[in-house]
Amino acid sequence: MKFLASIVDALSSLWLSCTLLVLLALLTWLGTLYQVDHGLFAAQVKYFDSLFLIHQAGRVAIPLPGATLVMGILFVNLVMGGIVRLRKTKATFGIFVTHIGILMLIAAGFVKAYYSEDGHVTLFEGQRSNLFESYHHWEVAITEPLPSGEVRESVAAQEDFVAAAPGQPAILRTGSLPFDVEMSRFYPNCDVFPKGPMVGSDVPVVDGFFLQARPLEKENEQNVAGAYVTLIGRAGQRREAILHGASRAPLTVEYDGRRFGVALRREQWVMPFTVALENFEKEDHPRMMMPKSFSSDVVVVEDSSERKVKISMNEPLRQEGLVLYQASWGPSNARPGDRLFSTLAVVRNPADQYPLYACIVIAIGLVMHFSLKLKKHIRHEAEQAA
Amino acid sequence: MKFLARTLALLLALAALLPLARATQSDEDAHSGTHGTPHGPLQRSAPWPAETLDLAASLPIQDGGRVKPLSTYASFMLLRLNGKRAVELLGDAKLTPIEWLLDVLFVPGQAEGYPVFMVADIQVVEAIGLTVADKKKRDRYSAAELRAGRAKLYELAREYERIEERNRSTVQQQVFTLALNLDAYERLETSFDFARHDLDVSGSVGLRKLFGADSARFSQLVGRMREVMALQRGLRSDAGSTGELQALNGVLQEAGAMSQRTGILALVPSLGSVEAEPEWHAVEDLFLHSFEPDGVDARYVAVLAHLEDVARSAGDMPRCSKAISDLHGAVTPMAAARGEYEKIGLEISYYRANLITNSLVLFILGFLLAAGLWLAPRVKALYVGANLAVLTATALLTGAIVMRCMIRERPPVSTLYETVLFVTATGALIALAMEWIHRQRMALSSAAILGVIGLFIANGYETLDKKDTMPQLVAVLDTNFWLATHVTAITIGYSAGMLAALIASVYLASKVLGLKRADPQYFRNLTRMTYGTLCFGLIFSVVGTILGGIWANESWGRFWGWDPKENGALLICLAQIVVLHARMGGYVRDFGLQMLAAFGGTVVAFSWFGVNLLGVGLHSYGFTSGIQAALWTYYGIQWGLMVVAGAHRLYERARDAAVSEALRANSASGKANPN
Repeated sequence: MKFLASIVDALSSLWLSCTLLVLLALLTWLGTLYQVDHGLFAAQVKYFDSLFLIHQAGRVAIPLPGATLVMGILFVNLVMGGIVRLRKTKATFGIFVTHIGILMLIAAGFVKAYYSEDGHVTLFEGQRSNLFESYHHWEVAITEPLPSGEVRESVAAQEDFVAAAPGQPAILRTGSLPFDVEMSRFYPNCDVFPKGPMVGSDVPVVDGFFLQARPLEKENEQNVAGAYVTLIGRAGQRREAILHGASRAPLTVEYDGRRFGVALRREQWVMPFTVALENFEKEDHPRMMMPKSFSSDVVVVEDSSERKVKISMNEPLRQEGLVLYQASWGPSNARPGDRLFSTLAVVRNPADQYPLYACIVIAIGLVMHFSLKLKKHIRHEAEQAA
Repeated sequence: MKFLARTLALLLALAALLPLARATQSDEDAHSGTHGTPHGPLQRSAPWPAETLDLAASLPIQDGGRVKPLSTYASFMLLRLNGKRAVELLGDAKLTPIEWLLDVLFVPGQAEGYPVFMVADIQVVEAIGLTVADKKKRDRYSAAELRAGRAKLYELAREYERIEERNRSTVQQQVFTLALNLDAYERLETSFDFARHDLDVSGSVGLRKLFGADSARFSQLVGRMREVMALQRGLRSDAGSTGELQALNGVLQEAGAMSQRTGILALVPSLGSVEAEPEWHAVEDLFLHSFEPDGVDARYVAVLAHLEDVARSAGDMPRCSKAISDLHGAVTPMAAARGEYEKIGLEISYYRANLITNSLVLFILGFLLAAGLWLAPRVKALYVGANLAVLTATALLTGAIVMRCMIRERPPVSTLYETVLFVTATGALIALAMEWIHRQRMALSSAAILGVIGLFIANGYETLDKKDTMPQLVAVLDTNFWLATHVTAITIGYSAGMLAALIASVYLASKVLGLKRADPQYFRNLTRMTYGTLCFGLIFSVVGTILGGIWANESWGRFWGWDPKENGALLICLAQIVVLHARMGGYVRDFGLQMLAAFGGTVVAFSWFGVNLLGVGLHSYGFTSGIQAALWTYYGIQWGLMVVAGAHRLYERARDAAVSEALRANSASGKANPN
């Protein structure tokens, strides 16, 4: 019991807060410098999304807790020390409010981390779509065109096969399909090459082709994944195949007279509405090459209603829990009059507006606390002067 | 029209991208006049009259995506070449930027002797094959002096252009910059060649008839291009007049060659609305437009003629002044009709009032008076004087910031340069407020020190950057709401962090130097000031950082992305939160608080400038070369002071411990021997 009490004491102590905050600052700083050579995504994975990490300072390897772990303990510390065990007096009310605001911010982070989807929809002028796809995650999609004209789809998410390796294949099994997909190797970034007579390869060659792994790009969205799979029919018949993220068409197979397409593609989500890009406009400052504004004129089609919207930098479209932002455009070598495409980032984040509320709460708390302090201080000064 | 304009813009952009391509022409080619004697002198005998200079200064020009006074253009161009905003001639004579620019444009023969090319290392000049006598290692050269090495300069520059900037040696980089500068200068110098020379139309009967003379001005040709084109069409269909056609085409070619040398000065406001035709015209654009079926509006042709009049009358001051006045009278209504002339007067006043420099001078004065106050604490006049100086300095600086807001129609901070002004002003204001609460004098001195350092940095930044400090903003920054909220809050946070570090440094330095040893209240007050400043700063840092996240969520769809600038802001918040919690937990007391606050200054500096040097991330605004050294100097000073103060404290503790040990030993031995 005493032991438990001392743990509670430790977890709610100011000393722990200071240590964690210093650690978080250290990780933030290291993670910032790491970006110079390794890019944002790698830094994020290593320092911020991690529980533990080894930081290389020259030749010295320093084990450190990752920011996720630090923030997790900080959360407990904040709840226990900053809210539950905080002496509730008039003098600490501002602190209390501030801590509540910080909790809201952390809650927003958790909601975003576990319940958000983010990706993009890229459209040329004149195109429309009701899908958006992930920048980062892959999925294996098995599609079956039905006689009715619809397409039945079953999907395996990246976490189901990301660890696939020789000796520990990932088996993607769906009861309703007449075959299983066994993935024996997954490469987050790779090329497909034809196997020539002079090319040695230590990986399997399928139909004359093989996958060559490549180092990860700094920008994660430039990585193109690939995988070796074996399709196993119910009768045990095996068929080897290569899936590659850049393939234009899915692998087609036939079982029991039914045709299926198998593809490794970026994770996709369906939007409850369709966006059609009418026009993309990029305006430069006069007589300069410096962009002044980017905007996409889109039509949002839902059921039978249509609505025209202009999406521009700092002016996203919010609709049914989704937010669409002007993110990018191209082709970068377009000449005047060429047909342009616009990339709209799409985010579904239930915590979209939490930070704003948190910010207001924190500001109120801090102002309350510090104005109390200032008042006390000025009174003290006045007494001293008197 | 739109397509042509776009193509033109593309061509211009290409020209700007490849500044050296043009310089590949041989020396003579670039500098010889078209033919015949130029109209207008290449030298002037009298100085420009003051009222003419005023008119010229207030001519509008579209540059850097905005309309600004010609004087602003002149001053940043001169700053770029010369490293300062004046030309120093032999004797005591000095030229202002607008005088210099008028000379370069209209009396180039005179201007080419002005030493306006700052060369930081004489090796650069030697590298281009010039033999130099009586020049210092770092010195200024005239265009005439550089011309002998011109070909070599451009050849080397083209070679170095292929080397990535970070891999260039200092001398290579300077050669490259000098080449760009000389090229920019030569573009200016030839801008009015078209005006000084007549087109010889004597070879073409048709043209002679059209213009009623053997020669025509460039503006006349542009104005009657439709008729010239009709003439050309007629000749083309008539096989018998090839000689005449050749003569006509020759004139057009010559005019085209002239127009290509007219540079990029967009001095002619467009007649359309700002929305429909955002771009102003340079002479070359008008020449190209004249080939369109509708030709060029007569009002454009009139402006061209005015420009010619100015160039042709240069040297004859009364006539030239009249011509400039006419030009001004023609151009300003065109700009005003587009609503693009209203801010010109304000901007001229802004630069003329020299608020920043005056503010700096007053901060220095305030600092000197405050320093006098340390030596003679009882002299009331010094205190009043110092207060007055610092207050006035802060007011001038605030005035400068307000004027900039009015000119740009922006909140106070939207560029790195403006963060420096704003941090200085708010820092001084916070310190003055503390002085008002505490009457401690230390806060007053801090305000003065902060003002001096801040404005020195601002001036240094401007001189290093050499670009208009009121630039247009890239698309994502084009939002006054977020600039006013997030950027302002975060910048106030910087300001408080730097001020806290400054007061902490005063505390640490006082300890090390043994100042005010007998006055513990002095140190207690400093700690209160540091603590108060940190609390004040924390509100703005935290709120500013979160607002930044909300902005990011509005424009990029994510609240937090671990971008370097975001991380920098987080670091400031964390540093300030740690200080306050550590104090609350009793892990640090006065000295520890001051040490942490001093360290916090370097955290702010890292976030403010340091992360921009990393060269990654979404917030890569602001130039950075040249900042590195200043930043590391600051880190060095701040950390050095902390190390010294820490060592000093350890030494004092050890000494005190030894003393008390000795005392205890003494009293112990006394007890042992009661009798």
